[in-house]
Amino acid sequence: MEQTRELLINMGPQHPSTHGVLRVLVKLDGETITWAEPDIGYLHRCFEKLSESKTYTQVIPYTDRTDYLSAITNEHAFCLAVEKLMGIEVPERAEYIRVMMAELQRICSHLLGLGAMALDLGAVTGFLYAWRDREKIYSLFERITGGRMLYNYLRIGGVRNDLPEGIIGTPKDGRDKADKTIWGFINYFESYVLPEWDDLLTNNRIFQWRTQGVAPLPSEVAIAYGASGPVLRASGVKWDLRKNVPYSIYDRFEFDIPVGKENGDCFDRWVVRVEEMRQSARIVKQALQWLAENPGDYIAPKLPRVLKPPKGEVYIRYEGSRGEVGVHLVSDGSANPYKVKWRSPCFTHLQLLPVLAPGHKLADMIAIIGSIDIVLGEVDR
Amino acid sequence: MEPLDIRPDLEALKAAYPAVEIAEAATGHFDIRVSLDQYLDVVKFLKDRGFNYPACITAIDWKDRLELVLQLYKLVVGSRQSPLVMVRVDGLPREGAEVPSVTPLYPGLNWHERETYDMYGIRFQGHPDLRRILLPDNWQGGHPLLKDFEDKRPRRPRLVRHRDMIVSG
Repeated sequence: MEQTRELLINMGPQHPSTHGVLRVLVKLDGETITWAEPDIGYLHRCFEKLSESKTYTQVIPYTDRTDYLSAITNEHAFCLAVEKLMGIEVPERAEYIRVMMAELQRICSHLLGLGAMALDLGAVTGFLYAWRDREKIYSLFERITGGRMLYNYLRIGGVRNDLPEGIIGTPKDGRDKADKTIWGFINYFESYVLPEWDDLLTNNRIFQWRTQGVAPLPSEVAIAYGASGPVLRASGVKWDLRKNVPYSIYDRFEFDIPVGKENGDCFDRWVVRVEEMRQSARIVKQALQWLAENPGDYIAPKLPRVLKPPKGEVYIRYEGSRGEVGVHLVSDGSANPYKVKWRSPCFTHLQLLPVLAPGHKLADMIAIIGSIDIVLGEVDR
Repeated sequence: MEPLDIRPDLEALKAAYPAVEIAEAATGHFDIRVSLDQYLDVVKFLKDRGFNYPACITAIDWKDRLELVLQLYKLVVGSRQSPLVMVRVDGLPREGAEVPSVTPLYPGLNWHERETYDMYGIRFQGHPDLRRILLPDNWQGGHPLLKDFEDKRPRRPRLVRHRDMIVSG
């Protein structure tokens, strides 16, 4: 008997491949998706409302919890916004520490994103390797900040504490020091981990078959839908806010912007992320060289105890691990922000799901969700 | 990489719509204040002049009125320091405000407009799918980012162990 009825199914909210609590309604014609609609809000914690009743410094730990896999970059974006509003000069050493931490965090976040995508596609090994290396970054972060995932490390005007003794290490540190010194980790990462990813997955033919040609995203659609970060670059748009709208001290570093081809598919998004980790490692190395030679202040001296930015408004565009983090801050001159708006890249990217999914098989849905690398904590805020 | 200059675009905008107020903010972006009936035309004009990237749309509650803020910029590969413009519509009523939707021009603002509706109660005319997004569909408690929002849900009993007594409420 032939059956032509469309089938409506529910993926989630508790589906292991949805990276959190995401519910996707999918209409199926056989195995083929004809329509998809994400349903979000299960993790909504009123971040923006809550911030209005906190002082500026008290908001920083909440920004950690929006994109909890990339906490430092969120703190950095928020601190940049307040500093721009108040005109605070951040000491040079603090800037270097921030950039180094943000890039380590980017590596860490991409490792998890790639590992989780591999896991969803059935390559459990890839996930375990990602976890092993992420653990090393977390050990380093734990020694620097005291926290493993949610750090509350950046302060308005600098960072909470200087790097502990001996954490930088020397450029000769190798694999045995990967979880003890940052140089050790970077050397280990470049000489062992990245080639391993290439061998295990990027050049793995089964993995390529599984992801190539799935959900191509033309560059003009990507721009119109507000895609940013690796998703935008995988579609061949060479746009990186660190280079194109430089903030902090990114204009002092040498790094390249990896891009995909014109119609970036899931595989391109994968490759761009792997390449980005390589570039981040380059930035970390340059920052380490500077940090080893230049001691100094790690927080701006003579800041008032209670920060009261003047009346005004600021919108910061920040290249977070997953794309453009926008912080729109309105100050009325008091100690609490009048309004905080968090433009989260994952929220914007999830809109692409109804565009990308139709025409593909249900099993490809997993690859698509994995390749746009969403964190539901940031989607729902 | 050359710094991107958007002043010619803003001058052309001023010439085409003399009622529009353009000012450069101290923090580096450009404020474009428009009236509600010119809002859609101005956004269309900006889009034709190459403001292709929809960053965000949101609103601000000034306690006596709402202000709609739309952030756009030019995404030109190889350019540097692309300034942000904020198209602002001030003086919207705090209840039942209606503005034209720009989702047909910038599909990326679809969910951001839904979020603005969810949080501030501004309705976007011509939006393809104006529903609540972060709050549940059956939410009756109002629009939470309004400054006078009160959570009217019954308070959950708070269980605090206090010596040997359990205090609730």
